[in-house]
Amino acid sequence: MSNLKNLTGPLSSNNPVIVQILGICSALAVTVKMEPAFVMGLSVMVVTAFSNLVMSLLRNGIPSRIRIIVQLVVIAALVIIVDQFLKAFVYDVSKQLSVYVGLIITNCIIMGRVEAFALGNKPWDSFLDGIGNGLGYAAILLIVAFFRELFGSGTLFNIRIIPESWYIANGGFYSNVGIMLFPPMALIIVGAIIWVHRSFNKDLQEK
Amino acid sequence: MAKFNVNSNAYIIIYSVVMVVLVAVLLSVTSLSLQERQGENILNEKKQQIVKALGEDPATASYADVVAEAVMLDKNGNKIEGKTDADIFAALGDLTASFEAGEFPIFKAANGSVVIPVYGAGLWGPIWGYIALEQDMNTVKGIVMDHSGETPGLGAEITTAKVQSEFVGKTIFEGADFVSVAMKKGGATNNHEVDAISGGTKTCDGVNAMLKAGLEGYLPYINANKSNE
Repeated sequence: MSNLKNLTGPLSSNNPVIVQILGICSALAVTVKMEPAFVMGLSVMVVTAFSNLVMSLLRNGIPSRIRIIVQLVVIAALVIIVDQFLKAFVYDVSKQLSVYVGLIITNCIIMGRVEAFALGNKPWDSFLDGIGNGLGYAAILLIVAFFRELFGSGTLFNIRIIPESWYIANGGFYSNVGIMLFPPMALIIVGAIIWVHRSFNKDLQEK
Repeated sequence: MAKFNVNSNAYIIIYSVVMVVLVAVLLSVTSLSLQERQGENILNEKKQQIVKALGEDPATASYADVVAEAVMLDKNGNKIEGKTDADIFAALGDLTASFEAGEFPIFKAANGSVVIPVYGAGLWGPIWGYIALEQDMNTVKGIVMDHSGETPGLGAEITTAKVQSEFVGKTIFEGADFVSVAMKKGGATNNHEVDAISGGTKTCDGVNAMLKAGLEGYLPYINANKSNE
């Protein structure tokens, strides 16, 4: 049962973005549309899961003095592999994500979980913890991207939701909310999610 | 594991070396095995941009439908024989070197219009594009531009359909003189100008320089094929 907790904990009560407040920068950058947010979430999940797994397998043999360097090499190698796969299989999305794929290396969630969890736990638990944290990150990204894409562009996953005929340009009454496309709006939405989340989870509220 | 002293210098050095070699091998294998597919994607994107420059939608019209022939020109505007499509697309990867070597790739559509690749510098990094001319070699049929690092919302607006569509119908000749087409701060005043992007002046200057320098290299060909009305 404790295995399962590693997986589900990070989804809500220990969410990396809205509780641990990690990985905010990329959450602002790639959430203009659902599709890049989805691919980014998936990529981060793969990297957290496998870096946790690899580091957990190596944990007894790593010289503690070069621990951080070993972590960085493992994470960087995984990120480069993910980047290569994106370039080969979803080239459009890889172009949209541009530098942010490379910046997964610096995503605090990954090193945070390796350092805090994988170095002290068994491989399978660590792997689940990585999947859980990746999912928790992806979930927040998708929620933010949902609002930003729907109100900023009138689409979801590039499929039109708000009819063209509603737009002022076509004689309607509606116009896209331009600020949704700018990074500050992502921060505001993340803030709103934290607010809603904490009002349901009283134990997370600071006294 | 407990038998070793995992903090001895010798162990740390051996550990680092083995780890780095293993990672290097892994990355090389991944890169090599995916290279072909990545190359195809990049080639495909170039073809789509050429199709878009000709005013067709890449979703419905393929490169093969739209472009009749890809040709390499020398600096006098004559066709260089013996260049394959692969050579021509390879030249697009480094246009500066190709122009310097006196090789000018051009794409001819079935209806006589042509697509010319251009390359230049924006504010933060390189910008590039494809400009299509009508059969008269004077009127702009369409343009596609892209960039690597221009400011979102300002210079990066050159990639939007709104900016690119303004170029359509502009002319690059005033009488017999080549004037190129330029983004003009304060608004277009004649048929060789389009509105510049406010806040994106440096990028617009880069676009102007890119189009002028790029088209100039093709002038011998353009002049030879221009219809004089």
